[in-house]
Amino acid sequence: MLQGAISIVSENWLLLLVGQYPNGPLGGIAATLMLSVLGIALAFPLSVLIALARISRWPLLRAPATALVYVVRGVPLLMIIFWVYFLFPLLLGANVPGFATMVCTLVIYEGAFLSEVVRAGIQALPAGQMDAARALGHSYPRAMRYIILPQALYNMLPAILSQFISTIKETTLGYVINVPELTFAANQINNRLLTKPFEVFLILALTYYVVCYSLSAATTWLERRIATRRAGPAPLAVMEAAG
Amino acid sequence: MKGFDLLAILLNPGFSAMLLHGIVMTFVVAIGSWLLAMSLGILLLALRLLPARIAEAAVAAYISYHRNVPTLVQLMLWYFGISSLFPAAMQEWFGEHNGEVLFAIIGLGLCQAAYFSEDLRSGLRSVAPGQEEAARALGHSYLGTMRFVLMPQAFRNAMPALVNHTVSLFKNSSLAMAIGVAELTHAVKEVESESFRTFETYLIATVLYLVCSLLLMAAGAALSRGTALAGAR
Amino acid sequence: MIRFENVNKLYGDYPALADINAEVARGEVVVVCGPSGSGKSTLIRTVNRLEEIRSGAILFEGRNVHAKMSSAELNKLRSRIGFVFQSFNLFPHLSALDNIILSPHRVNGLGRAAARDRAMALLDRVGLANRAHAFPAQLSGGQQQRVAIARALAMEPPAMLFDEPTSALDPEMVGEVLAVIRGLAQDGMTMMCVTHEMSFARDVADRVWFMDAGRILETGTPDAFFGAPQHPRAQRFLSDLRSR
Repeated sequence: MLQGAISIVSENWLLLLVGQYPNGPLGGIAATLMLSVLGIALAFPLSVLIALARISRWPLLRAPATALVYVVRGVPLLMIIFWVYFLFPLLLGANVPGFATMVCTLVIYEGAFLSEVVRAGIQALPAGQMDAARALGHSYPRAMRYIILPQALYNMLPAILSQFISTIKETTLGYVINVPELTFAANQINNRLLTKPFEVFLILALTYYVVCYSLSAATTWLERRIATRRAGPAPLAVMEAAG
Repeated sequence: MKGFDLLAILLNPGFSAMLLHGIVMTFVVAIGSWLLAMSLGILLLALRLLPARIAEAAVAAYISYHRNVPTLVQLMLWYFGISSLFPAAMQEWFGEHNGEVLFAIIGLGLCQAAYFSEDLRSGLRSVAPGQEEAARALGHSYLGTMRFVLMPQAFRNAMPALVNHTVSLFKNSSLAMAIGVAELTHAVKEVESESFRTFETYLIATVLYLVCSLLLMAAGAALSRGTALAGAR
Repeated sequence: MIRFENVNKLYGDYPALADINAEVARGEVVVVCGPSGSGKSTLIRTVNRLEEIRSGAILFEGRNVHAKMSSAELNKLRSRIGFVFQSFNLFPHLSALDNIILSPHRVNGLGRAAARDRAMALLDRVGLANRAHAFPAQLSGGQQQRVAIARALAMEPPAMLFDEPTSALDPEMVGEVLAVIRGLAQDGMTMMCVTHEMSFARDVADRVWFMDAGRILETGTPDAFFGAPQHPRAQRFLSDLRSR
């Protein structure tokens, strides 16, 4: 079985890595990572906006943002993919490649989930921060931009990284709409070989495991670093430095 | 595009039967995997508390695998991969008796067990430190302490996380369509392809999912509030 | 009833308890006092083996608590020693009544109805019969500690240990708890009590043990100890206390 697995990898590693490229669209792990990075990168500014809308004083902003988050949290990702797959070409009037559909879905999905992370980060800051900022004369938007958000986002880096790992796992659903990412590539291999499904899917599982595990180890390291940074140097050291 | 007409789907006996069957299968998968996940999650926690270091390592490895491998891939590994390891006669039996449902329940259940186990472990960690001492000082055995004092509190502390993960489990039932389970999302696709009324079909399914999720979240919130303990860290 | 024989405990190199030899007779009330870090809490926690010792023996009703024994035997032994914690440690998921019912019912096998009757009687004795169904979060600190005392008493132990029972309480609630403990002493309960409440000690103790740096430096009747302390450190301790 191990020999079978090794031979599968050695014969198909290119397909698993980059899909049919250059004879077709980018696929495999490369596509998975591109989807995840694009998804989270574009979702991020959206999530900040949604988070701000959810904590805003105006019901006109708060209500739709809250509704959006609850809907996205309550509906399976697969359903959302089907919706986007259906509506996107209708709204744009043209055919949309699966890749773009998947990115769009991830942006919406992660935008909502990430907004909860951002919102938690903002609300976890001591209330005194906003008070101090306003007392100094900053307007609400300026206080948000220069004082609140930078701190909140720094504190939330591990959680954001965690969401990135989730995004990588979510890309697997692209398989259902034939986006040629890693899971799709593995299924292609399996449909060709037919005799070694266990080896193929085990390789698939282990590949994701290695990628996600390394990232979560990095997240834990980051968490520890931020905790010590935030705790500040020992009080004695601070006093001595102050003279 | 034909005009928007929900009733064309809802009142059509064929379509509504398909959707209804889909909902039933969704519940079968969700409830089955929840029961598996909860019992296994508790077992994993118990294993972790054993003094043997290998038990802790094994459980940690289990949890690490199930949290880092995407759920869809886990389902595929079970349904396409592991099932192929069974003898041919069993595979045939699976094929005729909705084996995909069984694998879906196993795959989803095993995956969520990892999350439930971690939730309970956090819940147990956040029980105030003096509680175990107080129980032991009164003469309770280790098992008695767990049963009457620590685990009841661990469950109450873990409630919000358990509810969240239950909602996730419910939504993950839709992934079972990828291995051929005729749950709601699968039914939606079938009805859509037959009726060509994509928007209406999607809307009905979305509303159904949303209502169930929101009910779960509300029930969970009420349960969390009702059993919350003051003084947990 | 409780005897310490050559008890030693070390935290690494630091002597938490050094050459402790002392005895609490049946029906006697001993108050253990001393500065912070003197080992008084550690001492009392070794009696029911919440803390281990390096060498020596602690005899309770003639049995060495720190001998090698099965966990079932240790549990049985512990059920015969009542322990009241500084931080009460009531079980938050159970009502006051259920807190008291739990252990006689589950550890001693007392029937539920009998356990309930005993629990209500004890709640009455500590003055909280009307709060039987309240949960710990709904009770004040003083009330919680009184329930904790009732919980310990429910096991009908021949001896009670108190580890700074009032140190975590707001001043106005100290009195109600001390009143309960005083009542127990008057009823002849064998007690060891670690406390900072000196007037209480004067009132209730049969003997006072003064500890510092893990050793019992001085013992005596309350009048003798508070009136004319012999050991220089005891003298310093008492004068520090009085100057507060």
